[in-house]
Amino acid sequence: MQLHDKLPPGIVLVKADDFQTWLLDIQVVDGNPLYAGETYRLKFMFSQSYPIEAPEVVFVQSTDPPRPIPYHPHIYSNGIICLDLLDRQGWSPVHNVESVCVSLQSMLTSNTKKERPPGDENFVRFNTQRPRDINFVFHDERV
Amino acid sequence: MKVTVKEWNAVAAWRWDMPDDDVCGICRNPYDSTCSKCKYPGDDCPLLLGECNHSFHMVLHCIFSWLRQESAQEKCPMCRQPFKSKNQEAAATGDSQT
Repeated sequence: MQLHDKLPPGIVLVKADDFQTWLLDIQVVDGNPLYAGETYRLKFMFSQSYPIEAPEVVFVQSTDPPRPIPYHPHIYSNGIICLDLLDRQGWSPVHNVESVCVSLQSMLTSNTKKERPPGDENFVRFNTQRPRDINFVFHDERV
Repeated sequence: MKVTVKEWNAVAAWRWDMPDDDVCGICRNPYDSTCSKCKYPGDDCPLLLGECNHSFHMVLHCIFSWLRQESAQEKCPMCRQPFKSKNQEAAATGDSQT
């Protein structure tokens, strides 16, 4: 679970005191105006079986420092991310914290729509499942 | 002058015949080291080379524990081709190079 000495641009390790929960900040570095000047905080949760099992990765919100949940058609307003890489079907144990962060940066980079997923309000209000137990349907090949 | 050798100690080192800087893609430890759960490197924590030429620490903790997952669908974690051992014999005996 070691991070390389130098992380790619726009990725900062915030907290990694144990092997259960890590916090990282990411920025979109290519100047996509949707995300310019903002920093987003990611929470990684690792099970005992990591990296055989995917980590649970969500965006977390805070006001100090300001860390909003990025607008994206596959990111719910409670921070839950719909990305095949983070799901059982799409995960591979050769992924790591760094590659997940880079994938999320790239997912944001390519986005042009400032919107939430369809049904966001209901999902956020009624969802009690953990991200890993949700059966997302991956239908969008563009991101 | 006659020299009589009374005693000698041989020292040998081993390493896997793998590129120097390469690490197991799953546990990220060097091949010459163990996975994070094994105690001794080498035959106790051997490597498995796939037909796709991707290799991993083998026993229990790296590639095998991945392949046991249903979601792995018996595919190589690196290239997602069906994972087949390249050399069954070498894998079974942990064929190391000196």
